[in-house]
Amino acid sequence: MSRADYGVMGEFATADQLAEATRAARNAGYRRLDAFAPFPLRRVSHVLGCRTEIVPVIAATAAVVGGGLTYLAEYWMNAIDYPLNVGGRPLNSWPAFIPATISVSALWLAAAAFLTMLFQCRLPRLNHPVFAVPGFERASEDRFFLCVLADDPAYEARDITALMKRHGAVAITRMELGG
Amino acid sequence: MTTPVEAPTREVSRIPLSPDFGWGWTISLIASVLMVLVLAYAIGALVFVGVGVWGTNVPFVWGFDLTNYVWWIGLANGCSLFAAILVLRRHSLRTAINRFAEGLALFSVICAGIFPIFHLGRPWLFYWMFPYPATFQVWPQFRSPLTWDFWAIITHLIVTTMLWYVGLIPDLATLRDRARLPMAKRVFAVFALGWRSSLRHWDFHQRAYRLVAIAVIPLVLVIQSTVAFEFAVTLVPDWHETRLPLHFVVTGLESGLALILLAAAALRGSLRLERYIDDEDMNLIGKLLLANALVAGYVYAGEVGVMVFADRYTEASTINRITGDYAGLYWGAIALAVVVPQALWFRRIRLNNGLCVLIGLAVTAGIWLDRLSIVVAGVQRDYLPSMWRTYAPTPPEWYLFLGTVGLFAALFLLFVRYLPVISMSETRHDEHLEGSS
Repeated sequence: MSRADYGVMGEFATADQLAEATRAARNAGYRRLDAFAPFPLRRVSHVLGCRTEIVPVIAATAAVVGGGLTYLAEYWMNAIDYPLNVGGRPLNSWPAFIPATISVSALWLAAAAFLTMLFQCRLPRLNHPVFAVPGFERASEDRFFLCVLADDPAYEARDITALMKRHGAVAITRMELGG
Repeated sequence: MTTPVEAPTREVSRIPLSPDFGWGWTISLIASVLMVLVLAYAIGALVFVGVGVWGTNVPFVWGFDLTNYVWWIGLANGCSLFAAILVLRRHSLRTAINRFAEGLALFSVICAGIFPIFHLGRPWLFYWMFPYPATFQVWPQFRSPLTWDFWAIITHLIVTTMLWYVGLIPDLATLRDRARLPMAKRVFAVFALGWRSSLRHWDFHQRAYRLVAIAVIPLVLVIQSTVAFEFAVTLVPDWHETRLPLHFVVTGLESGLALILLAAAALRGSLRLERYIDDEDMNLIGKLLLANALVAGYVYAGEVGVMVFADRYTEASTINRITGDYAGLYWGAIALAVVVPQALWFRRIRLNNGLCVLIGLAVTAGIWLDRLSIVVAGVQRDYLPSMWRTYAPTPPEWYLFLGTVGLFAALFLLFVRYLPVISMSETRHDEHLEGSS
């Protein structure tokens, strides 16, 4: 089975080196970049052009829809489909319908935020080419990685390697798919 | 090989990955598992014999089960609320506290959920609470507090689990990468969902974590108030009051904070986590608990104030709670939940692990007495003198309560053993920000 080129991964010792290397790669015209760090780095992900505004919009919409559906369901069940006169109280006893409405609304909000996160990150996905990079397990502890993917129109492995070396990469790995 | 960024969280990840954990943990786990067996016995006796094994009878239809439900849900709400506020405020305390506070909340909800189900009389029909298209064509009655409980507990369980799990994903990935045993590596890998620390992942993760925290805040306030409404919507003189939600929210948050103080002091001492849960953290939690105890004192004073202006039935009922057969519960609650925390005025006491554990235990016990005082002594002087009786829990009721304490302890011990009790990614992030500023 032939091995397809997946990209080049550089390992850096500090967050500042990663930030500089990412900015340089971006300025050199690379667009298919990904960076890895043991904690969030807003300034680097900003350079990568990561936008997350969609998450709160989806979550807020879900909260309104979930709460609305809950209230309508309560109304339909207790006032239309199975009306029950309890001591002459109104069939649409809205104050009594509020606790479940708010609870379920919060449930939809949280679930939408969580599921949107998983969808946007394309998780769960247990296998990924980056895991084959030697030393990559330290990305979750104390090392920083920058990756240029092979499907970048400007992709040229030798140039990328040189660029990463210039910015202090301690290790550079060619990543391959399959094989 | 030396690196500019040394791994600041090695100590935390060493705990879940170490092959041996000492005999103290094993003995504690065995003791709590024995208590879980007691829980199984209590539930078995209840299901096979019926609610007659309990001492509850008119007018004490709620007795021990609702007391313990209200207590556990208060602990859960207090811990959740505190954790969620720390996430949203990005407070430095969150690195030390959030992970185990969210865990405490989750385990408390699990214990809380047991009581409403098993007080139903026919617990195997609990799903009638859910609106499903039943063949007998009825729907749940949404004007009933029983359905409020159902939605509150289900939602609380799911949302608290999400808050905990979302924060846990990056740390599970760290454990996956650090684990040496293939089995441990595989388990952590599956639960980490393939997290690969991409900055793109991090951005979405931070968004989602904060949004779940935003969902938690109104949720726990509504749930805690709803628990109070379940009392307030009855016609019992001592319960039928608008001040009740405030009382439940304040005392619930206090019990949650006390549980956090207790756990922080215990973990810090036993796992040598002083570097992560440092003196400043303990100082802050101690001050917060003290402030909350003062507010609880205000709420108790307000109760007496409201009584003065209330009708004579409410007045008689409240006076009975303060001076009657169950006066010990009321005064015990005030002594343990308002007076004892006053010791936290002293910095030396706030920094003393042993004393903090004792104060945490005292406050949680005090709030438990408060719940018992409201649930039992509250209904003792109803409008009908023919109903004026006393209530005492039977052994199966005690077994059920102690069993849930055992369940809680067992879950917490397993959590401490197999998962990072401190948020490693948040700690790294904070140390990075401090280093670069």
